[in-house]
Amino acid sequence: MGEVQAKVLCHIDEIEEGATKGFLENDAGHDLFFVVKLDGRLFAWRNACPHVSGAPMAWRKDAYMDAKKQHVACHAHGALFEPDTGLCIQGPCLGQSLAKVPVHVDQAGMVSVLITDIN
Amino acid sequence: MKIVGLESIVFGVEDVAGCATFLTDYGLFPVDVTEKGGRFEALDGTSVVLVHSADESLPASIGNGCMMRKTIMGVADQETIDAITAELSKDRDVKTLADGSIESKDDSGFVIGFKVTERKQLTLPGEISNVPGSPFQRPVNHLAVNDDAEQIRPRTLSHIVYFVPDPVKAEAFYVERLGFRCTDRFEGTGPFLQPAGTLDHHTHFLIGAPPFMQGVEHFTFHFGGPTEMMQNGSRFIEKGYQAFWGPGRHIFGSNWFWYFNSPFACHIEMDADMDLHDQNWVPRVATSDADTSQTFLMRYRNKWAPGKDSGKNGAYE
Repeated sequence: MGEVQAKVLCHIDEIEEGATKGFLENDAGHDLFFVVKLDGRLFAWRNACPHVSGAPMAWRKDAYMDAKKQHVACHAHGALFEPDTGLCIQGPCLGQSLAKVPVHVDQAGMVSVLITDIN
Repeated sequence: MKIVGLESIVFGVEDVAGCATFLTDYGLFPVDVTEKGGRFEALDGTSVVLVHSADESLPASIGNGCMMRKTIMGVADQETIDAITAELSKDRDVKTLADGSIESKDDSGFVIGFKVTERKQLTLPGEISNVPGSPFQRPVNHLAVNDDAEQIRPRTLSHIVYFVPDPVKAEAFYVERLGFRCTDRFEGTGPFLQPAGTLDHHTHFLIGAPPFMQGVEHFTFHFGGPTEMMQNGSRFIEKGYQAFWGPGRHIFGSNWFWYFNSPFACHIEMDADMDLHDQNWVPRVATSDADTSQTFLMRYRNKWAPGKDSGKNGAYE
């Protein structure tokens, strides 16, 4: 089997519980995707609100959560998403979902994605 | 009715500190800011007001996560306050508040206020371009660009854009009850509205949307010109804030625009150089799309210059 290329993102401890961190920022300052840490588990979503095709969601670098720190939010129009399922539960894209990015955590706690999952 | 423009927009927020930093980085002056809220003023004193969402004196949210609680319009004089009170009292409650302003609701359910404007008259030149043949030139030895400029300041609160479930009904309220006029229209979307006390192309724009979207699309302040707007916007991005659309230049209103995400569940814009219109203007009608929304569109990129530090393909990788 050929080796599948992975990209190491960070150590799991670099993401705070209940917080988000964005990765692979482009030249316009937008992350390709972000990771949310919930009860020690990681969930990663494309930084693209389903309401407006490809619209970036943070209000500031790495700031994807709502003020209550309960939901992932799109800071374009305030859409709220379940952080673990990506489902929109309030806002213009009600009922639609964020696009999931599979992330992997190895025994040393290093977080990575497969290149094939982010192309 | 001499409504001269937006005076203040009130938001109920949980993260007062984060929102305060955001507005200050945008360029507004923080005034009397505590953990309970505060006011953020443009150069002429028009403002955004933050109030902690736990404060029971705040008008209720219209729902859908909308954090905007009240839009306050400035009027020329007490006679206008009295005229609006008389007009709106015909079919709805109009409260007079302790500061002499009045509070009611529009036909979409948004809380609106009116007060005699306290905005300062600005006498600050705007951006002047040196153009061969033009009678208007920058004075000799005056520089167009100051890369070391301190925080760039918005001049005045410009406009607010609402998502409304019934744009026809919403427009009728502002036009028939408050004396606004439509300056241009995106057919099937909504009207650009100008009150009688200003020549600005619009202070309100209405967008028809499903009831579960009712709220604010964006609000914005006027800046001193496209250079100020783009210099301020670039610095805003360099601080980590996230652009949504722009910079570019709209066709209706001609205003330069740059939209950003915000912690207010809506966009915030920086704008400059909006057209002025009087009663001789004939409104245009178009269908809203990428071609009718802007005459050109650009996007931010990190600073780059050709030279020895460029990558092997320069900026063209």
